[in-house]
Amino acid sequence: MLSIIKEFLLKTKTSKKVLIDASKIITEALVQSGADVFIAYPITPSNKFYTYGQMRFPQFLAGPDEISVLQWMAGYSAAGKLPVSATAFPGLALMTETLNMAYMMELPMVLIITQRLGPSTGSATTGAQGDLKFLDGVISGGFPMPIFSPSDFNDAWTLSNEAVKTAVKFRTPVIILTSKEMVMTQKSFDVNTLEPLEKVDRTPKAFDPPYLPYKSGKDMVPTFYPLGNDEHEVRFNSSTHDNEGLIRKGNPESMANTMRLREKLEKRIDEYTFFDLDAEAGATDLIVSWGISADAARDTVTNMRKKGKKVSLLLVKTILPISPKIYEIIDSYETVIFAEENMTGQYKEMLFGKRNSSKIKTATKFGGMLAPSEIEAIVNKK
Amino acid sequence: MLGVFASLRETKKMEVTNILTKTKMPFCPGCGHGPNTRSITQAFQNLGFGSKDVTMVSDIGCTGLVDPLFGSHTIHGLHGRSPALGVGVALGLNRSDKKVVVMQGDGGATIGLQHILEAARRNIDMTLVVYNNLLFGMTGGQMSGLSTNDFKDFKMAADDADPYDIVNLAHQAGAAFAVRVNDLKKYTEVLEEAFSTPGFSLVELASLCTSYGMKKVAEFKEFVVAEERLTNKRPVGITPERNTKPLIENLQGLETKFTSNIEDRVGVIIAGSAGGGVQSAAVMLAQAGMLAGLHATMKGEYPITVGTGFSVAEVILSKEPINYTGLENPDAMLIVTDDGWIKVKDRIASNSKVYVDAKIEAEGNHIVKPFIKAARKKGAALSAVALWLKESNVFPVAALEKVVENHKYAESLQSAIRSAEGL
Repeated sequence: MLSIIKEFLLKTKTSKKVLIDASKIITEALVQSGADVFIAYPITPSNKFYTYGQMRFPQFLAGPDEISVLQWMAGYSAAGKLPVSATAFPGLALMTETLNMAYMMELPMVLIITQRLGPSTGSATTGAQGDLKFLDGVISGGFPMPIFSPSDFNDAWTLSNEAVKTAVKFRTPVIILTSKEMVMTQKSFDVNTLEPLEKVDRTPKAFDPPYLPYKSGKDMVPTFYPLGNDEHEVRFNSSTHDNEGLIRKGNPESMANTMRLREKLEKRIDEYTFFDLDAEAGATDLIVSWGISADAARDTVTNMRKKGKKVSLLLVKTILPISPKIYEIIDSYETVIFAEENMTGQYKEMLFGKRNSSKIKTATKFGGMLAPSEIEAIVNKK
Repeated sequence: MLGVFASLRETKKMEVTNILTKTKMPFCPGCGHGPNTRSITQAFQNLGFGSKDVTMVSDIGCTGLVDPLFGSHTIHGLHGRSPALGVGVALGLNRSDKKVVVMQGDGGATIGLQHILEAARRNIDMTLVVYNNLLFGMTGGQMSGLSTNDFKDFKMAADDADPYDIVNLAHQAGAAFAVRVNDLKKYTEVLEEAFSTPGFSLVELASLCTSYGMKKVAEFKEFVVAEERLTNKRPVGITPERNTKPLIENLQGLETKFTSNIEDRVGVIIAGSAGGGVQSAAVMLAQAGMLAGLHATMKGEYPITVGTGFSVAEVILSKEPINYTGLENPDAMLIVTDDGWIKVKDRIASNSKVYVDAKIEAEGNHIVKPFIKAARKKGAALSAVALWLKESNVFPVAALEKVVENHKYAESLQSAIRSAEGL
């Protein structure tokens, strides 16, 4: 009933068009979803998040470096708060050890990564989609971590909400993967299409006593209690640990605990898999894109359909881990064209490796936005 | 001072159980870490802190083995980073009745020195206990940044760089209490003082490594740095919670007030120098287009140096919603400085109508106007936008005037727009 009323109110709302960027939309969505604290270190092109985070979050801290930022976030998270930060590759590189720590400790948090041109410091004010393969292996041992990538401003809103939900539900760091043009370019946008968001409930879920900080039930996610609580002693541990949260090298319980980190995210992947499939009847070509290149892919499809060409479009929003549904969709087309703003087609390589089969094509660009005409040329290439 | 703590102990009546568990000490026989750990738990018992009142944060190395020794909240982190983790825990809890204590070795204190200084600078309400055995015990007895030269003579004479005085460094950075103690008999008392001090306290305890250090405690004492006790009277660092305003809800919508003559879409490049109002002129053009019922995008491009070099903005105005925000063949190019010209001259397309400032030595047949002379450096880009609007008739210049009417610099912006009338 509530959803029907909400839908009605949304439909009857007048439009309110503003010139806005996705940094503002993501920041507002995260706060409405219950994120508590923004811990910042400035880096281009994530600086708008710093500015908006300072304006909007209930708590804001400026860290002295990116390692400190993520450590502080881990501490806040262990104390029961939901922390957020934003960075780019150089910061991500520094954060990597602590990201692994937070993952192992099962600490909810959201990290925004605004991709820019690399390698190294590259060109800080040029966008890119070049950090995906780094993120694919960022957790040592090949463990999955949820990575969402908005393909437009409405995604920026809803995926930010899903990022908080997923971080809390699965007790995991979640990454929102953007790029410079997605979060800095301003667009006219009807903000009344954004539905108000509810704070994610942090009440500890029921458990079979006694409470052990890493003992889980069928859902494979242990009940979270924060440090300092007066009900249960809590232990968090970055090293291989048992259900009690104490270091145990290689015993069955501790190894099962480590394997569970993968299982909880892969077995329940449908709960946080998001994509849009614009399937055209009779089409044998499928364009697959994500993030900032999604807009160019949308225009490509529109242009080609105007010319009478049948083509379908898959926009992937949960980039990692890869859902079997993505393979199912791809398998149902004769030719698949990956459109990405990087050198080799990193999403394609995650799915199929470096060697293209005759079925696979890549429309890529390094150092600038991939244009619709460039994608169309690859689709039409024999 | 000691009287205060004696009184505090009396008040607490030692009702709480010692949080030291029955787990066997995980250290080598004779290791100083055992007595250090017992001193910590004894200090807590003396002060009346029980299992739920304490969060112990452990580092990597031999001190990282301590978690099972504490029947309390524990969190075991990374090498050297535990002071930063402790900062997050302390700020996240923000409760003076909950104690956060970080334990790390001298190796951890070296790699994570920045984290210690930051915790001290902010005077975060927590205690760092540095178990200093002058070496990396878990990896083979290598020297750390806290190893003294006397000690290195014994192990690695080639390195004669003086050690960090971690106590003095913490003090200089603003720690409320920083102390080095080498006499085991004083450990508990000093730890009680640290735990009772609001703000950041650092306690460096001498700790013999029996595997890689000397074999006798008496000799070890000769190698450590002399005891030191330093204080600062400073407010405790907190991060207050604030009530903030929504970023989107209060934005003013741009309702259609003007009509546009655009058939499909136009793309405009505005190019100039940093600090010349290029980006803001582009935003105003996009907003004016929205007042004329158009969809708009504004994409900025500039070098990483904010105050110098080129500044370029691309504006797309369209009757249909805009997806891809790239601009391949600009319909208009408004170039007001040499920086801008050099950056965008290669983007001139056959359909581009190009306006350049009179001071630019631009090759080619373009529309040359004295934008800077008419509207000065800050207003030149907006002046060029106004002239292009007037001549292209895509929508009325009045839409641009409407955008700036409530701007805090409305007068100078209006002046820049009006300057186009005389060009």
